[in-house]
Amino acid sequence: MSEIFTIMEYAFFRNAMAAAVLTSLLAAMVGTYIVSRKIVFISGGITHASFGGIGMAYFLGLNPLLGAAVFAVLTATGIEWVSQRGKVREDSAIAILWSLGMALGIIFVFMTPGYTPNLMSFLFGSILSVGRAELYMLLAFCLLAGVFFWLYLRPVVHTAFDPEFSKIMGLPVGFFRYTMSIIIALAIVISIRSVGIILVLSLFTIPQITAMLFTRNFAKIIPLAALFGVVGSLAGLFSSYFFDIPSGAAIIFFLTLQYLLVKLLVMVRDHLNRDKN
Amino acid sequence: MNKPLVKLNDVSTGYFSDTVLRNVNLEIHAKDFIGIIGPNGGGKTTLVKAILGLLPLFKGKITFPQGKVRMGYLPQISAIDKSFPITVKELVGSGLKAKNPWFPQLTREQKKQVSNLIAEAGLSSQSHKPIGELSGGQIQKAFLSRALINEPQLLILDEPNTFVDKGFEKELYQWLKVLNEKMAILLVSHDIGTITPLVKTIACVNVYLHYHPSNQLTEDLLKVYNCPVDIIAHGPVPHRVLKEHGL
Repeated sequence: MSEIFTIMEYAFFRNAMAAAVLTSLLAAMVGTYIVSRKIVFISGGITHASFGGIGMAYFLGLNPLLGAAVFAVLTATGIEWVSQRGKVREDSAIAILWSLGMALGIIFVFMTPGYTPNLMSFLFGSILSVGRAELYMLLAFCLLAGVFFWLYLRPVVHTAFDPEFSKIMGLPVGFFRYTMSIIIALAIVISIRSVGIILVLSLFTIPQITAMLFTRNFAKIIPLAALFGVVGSLAGLFSSYFFDIPSGAAIIFFLTLQYLLVKLLVMVRDHLNRDKN
Repeated sequence: MNKPLVKLNDVSTGYFSDTVLRNVNLEIHAKDFIGIIGPNGGGKTTLVKAILGLLPLFKGKITFPQGKVRMGYLPQISAIDKSFPITVKELVGSGLKAKNPWFPQLTREQKKQVSNLIAEAGLSSQSHKPIGELSGGQIQKAFLSRALINEPQLLILDEPNTFVDKGFEKELYQWLKVLNEKMAILLVSHDIGTITPLVKTIACVNVYLHYHPSNQLTEDLLKVYNCPVDIIAHGPVPHRVLKEHGL
């Protein structure tokens, strides 16, 4: 136990804990939208396409997160545009953007002279090296998304559920759908720092499906997913330190373990209830 | 004659470059009850979407001679994602406009209005349930409540009798009869046999629209209208076959 307090004295570990909590809160809000609208695959496309931006930024000597953000936002709004026009097979378009982004990333990294030190941290995340500036950025975006959700949860949910009816009701459907796709893109890119491109999507889905074992009310899924996200990622973070395993992988492992345990508990509860009746 | 609520004047519309409906003329008056029939892919839903303002018009225009018309819409339930985490209360409430668009929450009176209508529909005990846990009939009632919460002047129903049992269907039709005293109704159905005794007039839609100013249709007339739907009589339906009359 004392060891836990000892590591918490280190600034880097406190930063990592703050990053884990903030990322979980952000993922809880944005992920609930992703899971409800069943656009997990689209989000996967956005995530992987952002790797192209990372590679390009390396090549041009820019901030990799900036490159990732530009690529992610372009992909997200592009897919929303394609899906609203409905002419192209959406899943094929996503698959193309998904692999094209990865391919561009690899080409750019290959062309960049010298060693690219942080590349692995983008693929697998490195929450233990999150700095103060990144933390502030995460906090600011978390607050921004929080305020947006708090004010506009109704139209966000309604335009996601039934865009046609929302249009009849006079809601600015395009505005909310595009704003949400930009928020999704930026939330994913900001979270890449903690858990990496390959694993980031689970942070936006596993806490939600765990929460949905208890409620199917959009507004209630968010706080519950935040709770499961925080618990799972802190558990992952501590074990990543003590067992010296990569943080992103540990977080996803614990989120999944938590889901299975909760699912088991719910099944036992339902079984006992059935016996009672 | 009174001015119509909605007037379609030589309307051609469809999706992107596909013209689904051509040269449609139709007037919808207050207290009309129009049954829209036609084969699958004939453009029934397209017509409804054009009236609702969801589709661009390639030709012609849709006017509202009495001014803006409040419309209630029940979409085809098969087009709805029933696993979406939305409760009955939230769904019905989504048919109300928020007073302040910058902070779009419902007022206390609006929330009261929602729970009153849910009670009227007999869904009070389902109010907090997600729509995925409802039966087919209950889902239709919830969506119909969403369409009605705004007290529409024109109620548009797209295939309300699919996925529901006969008991609910009867209840629905009784409900519609009462509603028709207050509002015009446009009812899309593939099942002409069940709706004919209910509706006042019929429009056959198959690329073109033929308006039939009565609820009696013969098979021959459907042929003339190029509207290949089967006339199926369901049980003891009051049924009167008229002589073919000129177009």
